[in-house]
Amino acid sequence: MTLPREVDVAVIGGGIVGLCTALELARAGTEVLVLDDAARLGGTTANAGSLHVQMQSRFIRLYPDQVPGLEASLPLYVAAARRWAELEQELGTGFERKASGGLMVAETPESYEFLARKCEREKRLGLQVEMLGRAELARIAPYLGEAVIGAEFCAEEGKLNPLLANQAVRRALQALGGALLPETRIERLEADPRGGWTLHAGTGPLRAGRVVLAAGAGTGALLAPLGLVVPTVAEPLHMNVTEATAPLIGHLVQHAERMITLKQLSAGQCVIGGGWPARLHGPQQHPTVEASSLIGNLRLASHIVPRLARLRLIRAWAGVNTTVDGRCVLGAVPGHAGLFTAVPGDAGYTLGPLVGRLAAGAVLGRRDLDFDIAPFSPVRFAGAAALA
Amino acid sequence: MPEPALTWHDADGAPRGIPFHPGQSVAAALTAAGVRDLRATRRGLDGEGRGLHCGMGVCQDCLVEVDGTPNLRACVTKALPGMQVRHQDFPGVARLPLGPVPVPDDAPLPAQEVVDLLILGGGAGGLSAAIAARRCGLDVLVVEERTALGGQYYKQPAPGLGAAALDAQQAEGAALAATAEASGARILRGAELWGAFDLDRIALFDGARTRLLAPRAMIVAAGSYERPHVVPGWTLPGVMTTGAGQTLWRSHRVLPGRRVLVAGNGPLNIQVACELAEAGAAVVAVAEAAAHPATRPRAALAMAAADPSLAIKGGRYVAALRRRGVPLLHGTVLTAIARAPDGALRATLRGPRGETTQEADAVLLGYGFLPSHETLRALGAECRFDADRGQFVPLRDAALMTTVPGLYAVGDCAGLGGAPAAREEGILAALAVARQLGRAVAPDVAAEESAARGRLARHRRFQAALWDLFAAPRAGLSLATPDTVVCRCEEVTRGEIEAALADGAPALGELKRRTRCGMGRCQGRYCAQLLAEHLAATQGRPLDNLALFAPRAPVKPIAIADIVALGTPERLP
Repeated sequence: MTLPREVDVAVIGGGIVGLCTALELARAGTEVLVLDDAARLGGTTANAGSLHVQMQSRFIRLYPDQVPGLEASLPLYVAAARRWAELEQELGTGFERKASGGLMVAETPESYEFLARKCEREKRLGLQVEMLGRAELARIAPYLGEAVIGAEFCAEEGKLNPLLANQAVRRALQALGGALLPETRIERLEADPRGGWTLHAGTGPLRAGRVVLAAGAGTGALLAPLGLVVPTVAEPLHMNVTEATAPLIGHLVQHAERMITLKQLSAGQCVIGGGWPARLHGPQQHPTVEASSLIGNLRLASHIVPRLARLRLIRAWAGVNTTVDGRCVLGAVPGHAGLFTAVPGDAGYTLGPLVGRLAAGAVLGRRDLDFDIAPFSPVRFAGAAALA
Repeated sequence: MPEPALTWHDADGAPRGIPFHPGQSVAAALTAAGVRDLRATRRGLDGEGRGLHCGMGVCQDCLVEVDGTPNLRACVTKALPGMQVRHQDFPGVARLPLGPVPVPDDAPLPAQEVVDLLILGGGAGGLSAAIAARRCGLDVLVVEERTALGGQYYKQPAPGLGAAALDAQQAEGAALAATAEASGARILRGAELWGAFDLDRIALFDGARTRLLAPRAMIVAAGSYERPHVVPGWTLPGVMTTGAGQTLWRSHRVLPGRRVLVAGNGPLNIQVACELAEAGAAVVAVAEAAAHPATRPRAALAMAAADPSLAIKGGRYVAALRRRGVPLLHGTVLTAIARAPDGALRATLRGPRGETTQEADAVLLGYGFLPSHETLRALGAECRFDADRGQFVPLRDAALMTTVPGLYAVGDCAGLGGAPAAREEGILAALAVARQLGRAVAPDVAAEESAARGRLARHRRFQAALWDLFAAPRAGLSLATPDTVVCRCEEVTRGEIEAALADGAPALGELKRRTRCGMGRCQGRYCAQLLAEHLAATQGRPLDNLALFAPRAPVKPIAIADIVALGTPERLP
């Protein structure tokens, strides 16, 4: 495939965020090209399709400094889950989306209390959440093991099949004339003195009137040469998937203290993740699975849902999550005309379509965005850079 | 004494007693009783279920529910008296035990067990390596997936069957296995190496529990499996590999069918046809893709010069077929299989004189082999594509070490050279390991080295001439129609693959995500290389080290209970 010489908007990153940004731009009649760096990617292309709404305790625990950012972003997650439902309707293609609700389980009175406090805060922020005791869990989630004493239930959570969703968005984009250029790595951005940008790829330069960086963890590296600090961090994570089984796990299941996400796909496979580390390996930094994560993740999963032990592990894989400071990095880059970022702060897949819409709105100069994206400004880290 | 029996519950639920001989596999017992359709699939694309195909635990198609546990491979599950074996609906888990499932305690992860040499595979190469390594005083652990040693070449009678060796080939294997067992090597049978994370972090299930190993060196002697022959109907029950048909007879003394058609490329098909005919099967024909040997006299002469006795053995098989009136059709390729109205399999053969059809109860397909290099690749061994033989092979140095220090590859998993060559390579790799570990190599063992090198050179000359003699074009996807299943596990058709490829010419990984091809239980063993070659031909993609799916644990599906029984890893996030 070859580079076109010129395009109105170039979106760097072909994950769910980049695709949705491009889709919204194409819908507005904008000429758009999505570039992606490799045939084998981390990010969305390895995502397992959890739709997160309630605050993930693993972040509260791992990144306590990011909690204010997470709380501030909560309304975004509610809107993002709804945006997925709209998108599925708009595209007229099933994503196997199920808003069957999410359970964050507790094993001790202390962690039940922790969840109850979290539940109260989230309620005040407008989430549909409630605490469930053992008896209610036995009724709605009989698959949970005896170790679970209660859970926070969030009705808006759920799951979808990312393989179907990504394809549907890609097809809709292409049907509107949006172009895709996979396996093209942008090495460097250069502001054009005449306005616009030159994108330098191994296969040659490309001129773009405007550029959206939706490159996940790779975004920081593209901005650094411009003197901008956006501390995107690649977090390679482990996923396990079992053989197909009869309906077993009806919800998206997480744990109040330990790292786990559990859900079952429509075709019957149980997908188990939750943030166990993988490792980036080799010169191309391929995410690679580790024995300790594979085993530990499954041990915890079969502790929470004992019947999982009866199933076989059929595949494991690793994908790359992007963390920043708990908030999106979203909107125009001040001082760099025509440059925009579109990086979800966390749970990037859940936020993808919404962040894509907001980013496209910023590119198009829309004033009627559903959210004030000023707090997500890509230059909020400048102070940190000065300190460093 | 009455024979033991298991109970088979057919798709309609009707139970039926199936007698078997002690030692036989569930698949062998069911085949002997004429039961071929073992499970339903998710899409049911061919209008039929699936049955025994590879016969060696690779394809994961012969899944049945046994005593309430779903998805067990009938070909590697031993039949036991009173066993309740059920035809499976998709996804086949209706009878999960209702009682509490043991939850593992929080015991810490055991330290890796250190061993001098871990050998994967108890066939010709692995056993030979074990014997040589023991002679050098190494501490040796052999992991063999099946209960019988000897691998696919020596195919030993199933333990417990009490059957005598059929011929010199089985007797030679029995002698090799006995020597290996007497050598002091620890041999784990029925054990599955499921995770190769790093050379010092190898996870295996030994039949009772998962163990983590840290070998100082490892020899992979994992052999090969049949190259898929993707034609309409290749997933029908009763269509199996030539190796599966041979295992039924040689290991279980069961005929794959009363009427058998053998189609493929290479000498194994002729040998198996002879064996089955001798055992009483009506072999309707052997369709050999290569042209008649008379058209390649130079290769025939070279083969005879390299190893006269093996060449004579081959000639005897051909003569035996002729004596029994079994047609050997040269230059003939099987192009389709369909179900005839009377329930038989009707195969279409395309040969020099056009198309013909043959009917049989069992169709054996043997279109060459693919190396089992998944563990090597998972450990980071670099591979290259051998275009002549159509296979990915690990790069090896003169000591048979891969690009990963301490990791060696011998026999067919490193490129197809046959069992006699694998035996010599086993010796050479074992000696290299002994030197790598600084062990003294006794003079008599060292003397063996140059003899082994000489024999290996001769075997390689023989193999090269043999495959010149049997050279035939590989069909790839060319015989598949749009409706033909390419990925057996996920039931992805050629049409679906072509549609995905027409939409932006995606690379293999993206093709997998779009169609699910290669996401199933066999881990892409059958479809990955076909697709990689297809992408090379149609998109010009390189057949390089990254051309196949990324190799990851588990190497084969493994019960989560068996994984977690290990304990808790040291790092608990």
